[in-house]
Amino acid sequence: MRNGSKVKVTVFHCINVFSEGDSRLAAKGENVELKFVRLPCSSLVKDVFLLRAFEAGADAVVVLVCPEGACRYVEGNLRAKKRVQWVRSLLDEIGMDGNRLALFNLPPGDSSDAKPIIQKVLAQIGTTPQAELSDRPPAGQA
Amino acid sequence: MIVAEQKPMAEIKELVAPYKKVLILGCGTCVKTCFAGGEDEVAVMASALRLAFKVDGKEIHVEEQTVERQCEDEFIQESAPAIARNEAVLSLACGAGVQAMARRFKSTPLLPGVNTTFIGVLEKPGLFTEECSGCGDCKLAVFGGICPFTRCAKKLLNGPCGGSQNGKCEVSAETDCAWHLIIERLTALGQMDNLRTYIPPKNWRASLAAGPRRLFREDHVI
Repeated sequence: MRNGSKVKVTVFHCINVFSEGDSRLAAKGENVELKFVRLPCSSLVKDVFLLRAFEAGADAVVVLVCPEGACRYVEGNLRAKKRVQWVRSLLDEIGMDGNRLALFNLPPGDSSDAKPIIQKVLAQIGTTPQAELSDRPPAGQA
Repeated sequence: MIVAEQKPMAEIKELVAPYKKVLILGCGTCVKTCFAGGEDEVAVMASALRLAFKVDGKEIHVEEQTVERQCEDEFIQESAPAIARNEAVLSLACGAGVQAMARRFKSTPLLPGVNTTFIGVLEKPGLFTEECSGCGDCKLAVFGGICPFTRCAKKLLNGPCGGSQNGKCEVSAETDCAWHLIIERLTALGQMDNLRTYIPPKNWRASLAAGPRRLFREDHVI
């Protein structure tokens, strides 16, 4: 991580999991810049949205969905899970580390679980924020 | 439809590497339906390429466009201005689309972003299966609408091999036995007598064995 820079995390979440205000409180005081994208259902988290979050500078992207079997729209969280798995493999393929993207199931309305989840993801990517990727010398140069 | 799948990113990166301005051109027909080269896939490919080049410390400008069909000149014409702005085109169309583009835009490098695999159908969500070999001599009326040329692993034309089990092919347990399906279908249609018709060995001259095929419709020529 570059000195003084905040780690940027984009959180896509189903509005049935928790409200945006709750999640802001969960991350208060952290050296983390959180950006929330509220979705009426997690199934709307298209693969290109996840990639564009990284393009916009996110060091990590977290997708928070309802527990399996508890999706209001039956299978939305399962679709989100499949899509996240696919994008993780794509990130690995392009050398970005799929661990930067993670999906977690949260009990509806319980935002207290969001903070440890975000910390867990940050711990995984803590030594390689995306900001450093663009600082690498071009291929073939020292 | 023509079914295709995207090439691995490593291969695409290698194809695109010599260029700094690339148009990713999708096709809104077959490859869109099989999730290989429609508008959504173009957007994902563009984003993934930008990120991949950023990881490598390189710069690339990626433009996105999708036309209705890349295999027809009247549809690809609309991509001309975007092609003029870029050094190369990464086409997510089938091989016919890529070649139609290459014929139309003679001075622009055309890079294939997908592997064209077969003529098939969406059997169930996420599963595409080959149904037609494009052999040029269709006998589906005899076989109740199920093609043993394509769907029988042994390409048997005069009855099953006897090796299938529970309706599955002995070559691959994931594949339905084409002859099991043919007999079920002909039974339902009351056309089992069709199987008394001897089918001679396939004349492959109507297929690719005689080189690239042509279809000429004189009635469409003035």
